[in-house]
Amino acid sequence: MTETIVELRNITKRFPGIVANDDVTLDIRKGEIFALLGENGAGKSTLMSILFGMYEPDEGQIFVRGEEVHLTSSKDAAALNIGMVHQHFKLVSNYTITENIVLGDEPLKHFGPLSWVDLKGASKKIRALSLEYGLEVNPDDKIEDLQVSTQQRVEILKMLYRDAEILIFDEPTSVLTPQEIEYLLDIMEELRRGGKTIILITHKLEEIKRVADRCAILLHGKLVGVYDVATTTTQRMANLMVGKELDTTLDKTEHGFGEVVLDVSDLTVYNEHKVKVVDNVSLRVRQGEILAIAGVSGNGQVDIADAIAGLQHISAGSISLKGEEISRLSIKERIARGISYIPEDRQKDGLVMDLTLRDNLAIKTFDREPFAKKGVLQPEAFEQQATDLIERYDIRSGQGSQTMTRSMSGGNQQKAIIAREVELDSDLLIFVQPTRGLDVGAIANIHQQILEQRDKGKAVLLVSLELDEVLALADTICVAFRGQILKTDSAKNLSKEEVGQYMMGVTQ
Amino acid sequence: MKKFITRVRSALSGLLVPSISIALTLIVASVIVLLLGKNPLEVFLGFLRGSGLVFKPRYAGGQGILTDFFSYLSILTPMIFASLGVMMGLRAGLFNIGVAGQMLLPGFLASVFVGYSDLPTYLAWPLVIIIGLVAGGAMGALIGFLKHRFNIHEVVTSIMLNYIISYVTAFFINTYFADPVTRNSRPVSEASRLLIPGQAGGVRFDLPVGLVVALLVIFVMRFLLDRTTVGFRINAVGLNKDCARYAGINVGNNVVLAMAMSGMLAGLAGITYYLGFANNMVPKELVSLGYDSIAVAVLGNVAPVGCLFASILVTIFQKGSVYMSSNVGVPKDIASVIIGILLMFSASGLYIEETLQRLKRTPRSKRGAKTDTDKAEEERV
Repeated sequence: MTETIVELRNITKRFPGIVANDDVTLDIRKGEIFALLGENGAGKSTLMSILFGMYEPDEGQIFVRGEEVHLTSSKDAAALNIGMVHQHFKLVSNYTITENIVLGDEPLKHFGPLSWVDLKGASKKIRALSLEYGLEVNPDDKIEDLQVSTQQRVEILKMLYRDAEILIFDEPTSVLTPQEIEYLLDIMEELRRGGKTIILITHKLEEIKRVADRCAILLHGKLVGVYDVATTTTQRMANLMVGKELDTTLDKTEHGFGEVVLDVSDLTVYNEHKVKVVDNVSLRVRQGEILAIAGVSGNGQVDIADAIAGLQHISAGSISLKGEEISRLSIKERIARGISYIPEDRQKDGLVMDLTLRDNLAIKTFDREPFAKKGVLQPEAFEQQATDLIERYDIRSGQGSQTMTRSMSGGNQQKAIIAREVELDSDLLIFVQPTRGLDVGAIANIHQQILEQRDKGKAVLLVSLELDEVLALADTICVAFRGQILKTDSAKNLSKEEVGQYMMGVTQ
Repeated sequence: MKKFITRVRSALSGLLVPSISIALTLIVASVIVLLLGKNPLEVFLGFLRGSGLVFKPRYAGGQGILTDFFSYLSILTPMIFASLGVMMGLRAGLFNIGVAGQMLLPGFLASVFVGYSDLPTYLAWPLVIIIGLVAGGAMGALIGFLKHRFNIHEVVTSIMLNYIISYVTAFFINTYFADPVTRNSRPVSEASRLLIPGQAGGVRFDLPVGLVVALLVIFVMRFLLDRTTVGFRINAVGLNKDCARYAGINVGNNVVLAMAMSGMLAGLAGITYYLGFANNMVPKELVSLGYDSIAVAVLGNVAPVGCLFASILVTIFQKGSVYMSSNVGVPKDIASVIIGILLMFSASGLYIEETLQRLKRTPRSKRGAKTDTDKAEEERV
């Protein structure tokens, strides 16, 4: 069990303006689950991309099974029985599971000069593999008909089909629901029992605690150390990961609420497929109040937020902001009336990835003074705001205000959005999944920001799938289920179990 | 002063990659010419001579290098406008493939209403330009509107419009405006043509008026896109429609606006072509310049000044190809081959940049020791 299978020696990798990996040395033992822990942008994914042949290191050596190797493409890695499940799946959506798995390595049957792909044989082999490791799939299903978690299973089967011995998982749980996470962790343990070596990239401490044997912690591209998971507390891991004592307790002061800022009544929304996604919802948010909508993903929470911001048409009901009906106003007018919106999908909706950080920070205000005078942009004003926000919100980027947003880490992208939205100084702030995919350090920072806004007397509408987040922040909790609000009550009156029950649609 | 130097330096480093693309193109083109058994230098010289940039060995009576050069400039003018038109569409995320049709309709209308009238120059020129802007702009706006309102892809609508325009104008030309000898449309009046005839040392030439407008428009476009709220909106819509909408930008309005501007620029290309470089229309023919401008806009990195330089380069090959082929004996289609190669290498710009950086870095990692620049880099980080 102590045989070393992969050894990384003094790996350094630089990108323009950033050292992604700085002299990292690691050894991974055969048959263990080895976790790689670090904040967003700490260099975890880069390091594993090097092992998978997608980047070449600027300096350093890689040894696999004791021999030095030079990996120039993922094919080299596959030849060494290294497989990787990427954060974003690489599957052809209109192919079946079998077709996807054999793609690039098709088993051929020959008849004289003719040959064809032996899909039946492959399908049989896949079925056998899926039984062996408990990865339930039907090899003849098409990818587009599958749920995310099943697609992930296909990715895992793809590695197993190619006899991968070393399996790299890049943040595999970020797209999964809690039950699916449990299931995936079980599968990992199953794989370990089968003699596979697993490298798990994550920033979720509970997962590491649950399955990993050892854990390497990266900070700003440097290796902090390798720790035995069994003898290290999660608090200590969290501290090492962010490089300082982390205070995860939020100090939430009690105070009364002010006037009603947002008043939604009898709201009904149909989506583009003419399906009723919000059904007769009413809610009010007052000054100094955080109202959180809890619920399992896809129960209409995001649609409520979109409708308030003006991104979705409403078919019935009213939305009023500070007593003024806004449901007929354009998005722009609503922003001007005082709505800040931190959207769920920061790369699709929140930012223009191919514009600079500076432009993104001004994307809602570029046509107002001082950013524009008589239709002419004022670059100095853009620059001044960017420098100020980068400093105050600690947005880290390679080339300051001129950084292309695409090259920034997810956590810093989110910080940029929050900086922009908070600076609008709106009376209502809508946060949708504000901490999705972020590490503990960034999460604590964002939670602090949300509380600050509440204490300043702003009305906050929070939509989150993380029950712990809802419980930690909310003054009032609404539970959404199938487009309706099943329960609204003060957070003090609700236990975690109760909220969980309402989320599943149980009403006493 | 320091600021000026860094600006010049960054501008020069921006030119490095395109220069490499051009050099690679010339090398590959040379190989092709060599395979055809001709001298590549002769071929390139032929292009330059045909464009009036290098003296020809001899000239016909009343002609000289200035004749060729100004003729080159008068075909360069519509190319600049057309490529700016394509660029404008691309900035808003739309592929305006119908520039040729958006050139023909304004050219046709201007010919019919102004070119065949007796209007004096000082009335004819402004009218021609207004017709170019209005007719081109209306076509562009229509394409943008259909895209926004009914989600019909702009490539489909612009190609279909090309056919409609080309056949409808051919019908009118054949029925009412045909020249009995050439079967093309009748030539437009000299007063309406956007050229000023000149003479120097016994050599005749025509000064293209449109070029002055084109150069002006380049800087207007540059200012519009980089420094105004209008440009900011169009860029945001082109790069990420969802985010633009979320930020309160009216996506539909900006799509229509960008396409209208694209069409206006195509309209200006049309009038400077049909009432400038040429003076008539061939029925049912859409000029290839309208399609070449797509390559030019991409080569020019979808930026106004880039379009200028790309137009200058590509037009040398297009304009010079006739003289080159009759004197060197290489088919003039080699011009299209060269433009194709050029486009391919300029599309590989990112790869060239990566390779350059790798070449810079290789000696360092082999040595293992750290150089001064290394340390400086680390300190900066």
